[in-house]
Amino acid sequence: MTSSLESALLPAGLRDVLPPEAAHEAAIVEALIARFAAHGYERVRPPLVEFEESLLGGAGAATAGQTFRLMDPVSQRMMGVRADITVQIARIAASRLLKAARPLRLSYAGAVLRVRGTPIMPERELRQVGVEFVGSAAPGADAEVVALAADSLGAVGVTKLSIDLNLPRLVPLLVEQLGIRDAATLRDALDHKDAARVAEAAGVHRTLFGALLAAAGPAPEAMRALSALALGGRAAQEISRLEAVVGLIAEAAPELSLTIDPVEHRGFEYHTGVGFSIFVAGVRGELGRGGRYIAGAGEPATGFTFAMATVLRALPPPLAARRVYLPMGVPAAEARRLRAEGWAALAAIEPASDIAAEARRLGCSHVYRAGRPAALD
Amino acid sequence: MTSDGALVLAVPKGRIQKELMPLLAKAGVVPERAFDDPDSRQLQFATNDPGLSLVRVRSFDVASFVAFGAAQLGVAGHDVLLEFDDPEIYAPLDLGIGRCRIMVAEPVELSKTDDPSRWSHVRVATKYPNVARRHFAARGVQAECIKLNGAIELAPRLGLCRRIVDLVSTGRTLAENGLEEVEHIAHVTSRLAVNRSALKTRPREIGAWIERFRQAVDAAAA
Repeated sequence: MTSSLESALLPAGLRDVLPPEAAHEAAIVEALIARFAAHGYERVRPPLVEFEESLLGGAGAATAGQTFRLMDPVSQRMMGVRADITVQIARIAASRLLKAARPLRLSYAGAVLRVRGTPIMPERELRQVGVEFVGSAAPGADAEVVALAADSLGAVGVTKLSIDLNLPRLVPLLVEQLGIRDAATLRDALDHKDAARVAEAAGVHRTLFGALLAAAGPAPEAMRALSALALGGRAAQEISRLEAVVGLIAEAAPELSLTIDPVEHRGFEYHTGVGFSIFVAGVRGELGRGGRYIAGAGEPATGFTFAMATVLRALPPPLAARRVYLPMGVPAAEARRLRAEGWAALAAIEPASDIAAEARRLGCSHVYRAGRPAALD
Repeated sequence: MTSDGALVLAVPKGRIQKELMPLLAKAGVVPERAFDDPDSRQLQFATNDPGLSLVRVRSFDVASFVAFGAAQLGVAGHDVLLEFDDPEIYAPLDLGIGRCRIMVAEPVELSKTDDPSRWSHVRVATKYPNVARRHFAARGVQAECIKLNGAIELAPRLGLCRRIVDLVSTGRTLAENGLEEVEHIAHVTSRLAVNRSALKTRPREIGAWIERFRQAVDAAAA
């Protein structure tokens, strides 16, 4: 017995998704894609595997350490299994859809594979669903994708959503403007929001970086604190840009809970402007993240990606399916009628002595009796 | 996991808990009586604030509880946070308690002739394999770590390995075991640790607690 069960062992971070979760996930993915479509985002489907150079070029460089490689026996070239779909959409926009009208609104859903999971997210195969908005640098584009992320999650039933806006370019710009030498130590201390180490690493600029840390919080207060910093130069431009985006989001989605964290950086390695992460109170980790980056041919782009595993954790469990057992002798036309009405109708293939027990054994909620489905119990 | 409801603060057992009691008092947190009793088998404790309860766990477990959001707040040593290096844990406030340092030590005899700058490989006994590996890698030394959970100072004497990476506060235990500090890795104090997702989704509540502890730390320093 043991040996046959051992063959069911899967590599770390991979799993079988069973009923009813598999169907639930697929339904949620389709509902999200439909919502994106309602906002004008058209679906594309890039392949699972590509040549390494195209997958890891440009913005894709940040995913190199997370990408599985394999050799293509046909072309004798190295290929990579995608660790992120955004890079592929950027490639499509810069090549096959180069002549398509801008701004280009695209959506996608698919699996990605990662070399390593994280402690709170040990899965190595992730289902990603997202959109990319290519060809516009306007603050309206940033605001549109944030509002769309909130709207689409709301449409599938996620409540208590909270979006954290970030400026991944701000700290690198300040480091440059102020001529700070040990940027790596400062970056690490800021990543952990470790005020004591930030003060140590920032030296004479400790007041400024302390104020940046303290500025994080609900959007209205954080925006006031950031504007009061009088940073100057390109850092100030980043902040006024954020202010414009916050204003537009507040108009498009007035109910949305917005926070701002000006020093958040991890996971935004290829971002060049306003970024964001999506949280739900009481749910571990992020539902998704997004932000502004440079797509293939130097085009400004923004977008977001949902991690389906976390989105599903933020949703109530699926409702039990309406499943009816059809004992022997139910006419085929009757079965067709029920299926057309949306029933999952299971036809008996052998007579059963206790019909109700047989229906229960097969996980049915109803049994066909006297010309209609009757609820069990 | 609690979504709205009460916040949970995870605190480590032992020495840090004693140093933490005055800070809790200054922050206006009064735990139920059993919390003060080290013999109590109770694990979770109510406080005078219905919005906050305490759990008492081992120091390394504070990081796990906070990283996974089982506790939204925690008191964790900088040593523990360095070892975990978890992106889900923020450490926004230095509590100024539990002061000590992480260092490399070896037998006094050995250190007379040893030149650490010539090392290419070391074997160390430690509670902190990640910290040790990162420290040695940064200075080009390969480290083989033997993970122990306590009594690290015993390792060189019994021949488990010659060097250790451990915490030291006064240096007495080191001296008693014929060991000497040869390299400093990091200063350690306890931090108020916060779960990232909790800070983002309940910014006002968590922010208010950070502020209460900040004022308590300032009052203790004054």
